[in-house]
Amino acid sequence: MVLFIFIAIQFYQPSPNVDKGQVYTTDFTQVNKMPVEVKAMFQNSCYDCHSNNTNYAWYDYVQPTRILVENHIKNAKEDLNFNEWGTYSNRKQERLINSIKEQIETKQMPLSSYTLMHKKAILNDEQIKTLTNWLKEQQ
Amino acid sequence: MKNIFFFIISLTTVLIIAVSCNQSSNKNTEPKATDPISNSETQNLSSTQNDTSNSVVPIDTTAKKVEQQDVQNFSIAPIVKDYLALKNALVADNDKAAASAGKQLFSTLKNVDMKAIPANKYKEYVEIAENAKENAEHIGDNAGKIDHQREHLASLSKDVSDLIVLFGTTPKLYQDYCPMYNEGKGAIWISEAKEIKNPYYGKKMLTCGSVKKEL
Repeated sequence: MVLFIFIAIQFYQPSPNVDKGQVYTTDFTQVNKMPVEVKAMFQNSCYDCHSNNTNYAWYDYVQPTRILVENHIKNAKEDLNFNEWGTYSNRKQERLINSIKEQIETKQMPLSSYTLMHKKAILNDEQIKTLTNWLKEQQ
Repeated sequence: MKNIFFFIISLTTVLIIAVSCNQSSNKNTEPKATDPISNSETQNLSSTQNDTSNSVVPIDTTAKKVEQQDVQNFSIAPIVKDYLALKNALVADNDKAAASAGKQLFSTLKNVDMKAIPANKYKEYVEIAENAKENAEHIGDNAGKIDHQREHLASLSKDVSDLIVLFGTTPKLYQDYCPMYNEGKGAIWISEAKEIKNPYYGKKMLTCGSVKKEL
C-alpha cells in the first residue's frame, strides 16, 4: 500500500526552478564587483536556492524530497533572490548584506540539509572569512 | 490483483488531472486580466452608462471624504512607541524584552491600515515598512543573540528615522549617533529623551554617543 502511494506521488512534479541560462543585469555578481573566488563561492553555495536557476540532481526529483526542495527554494527566493539584487532599494541591500554576513558567519547558511547532499557548497572557515571580509567592505 | 491495478490507474488519473488543473488555472488568469482593458478601449459607452456614472458621483465624494479623514488620521505613533520600547530593552541589555518588543513592533507594522496612508507617500512608506518588518521580525526571533538584535537595530533605526521625517511626530524625538558601532562605521538610534543611553553597547558604554538632530 505504502509502495503504491510512494509511486503515485512521484507523478506530482511542479515546474522546476530553471531559467535556461538567462543573464540578469540586476544580478548580485553583476551589480557588485567582486573577486573571482568570491563570485564562485556565492554561486556554488547560495545560488541553487537564492536564484531563478537551480541545478537539480536526480534525487531532487524524487518525492517527497521534491516538495521539500521546492519549498526551500520558494522561501529562499522570497527572502533573497540574487538575480534580482539590482531591483532592491539601497535600504534593503544594506540590510541583506548584513544578514548574509551574519548567516554565513554563524554557519546557518548554507543549510546543513543542503550541504549534506551538495559537498561542493560547503564553506570552510577560510572561505567564510574571505566572504565575510568582502561583505564587510560592502557595508 | 485487478483491484490494485484499477486503484493505481485511478490514483494517477486523479493526480494528472489535479496537476493539469493547477497549470491551466494559471493560464486562465492571464486572458481575464486583459479583458477589462479591451472593454474600455472599445468605446461602446451607451447613454445608460453615462447616467449610472452620474448617479455614482455623490457616493464617490462621500467615499473620498472618509478617505481624507483616514489619511489625516494616519500616524506612525504606534510604530514609534513600539520601536522605543525595543530600543530601551537593548539599552538595558535585555535580549528577551527586545525580542518581545520586536514581535510587538512586527505585529503593529503588519496591522497598519494601508488605506489611511496618503497616496503621495504610499510608495515610500511601503519601501521603509517592508524593511522595518524584516528587522522587527529578526529581532523578535533572536532572543539570546543580543549582538544580532543590535545589528538589526541599526537598520531599523534608519527605517524609523526615515518614517519620522516622512510623516512627522508629535512628541519631540532625538536622533542620536554612536560613532563606534559596527567597527567604526557608526549607527543612529531614535530617543525620546535628550540624555544619551546607548542601545548598542548597553551598560558597557551607556553614555557613548551624541544628539545628531532633533526630529
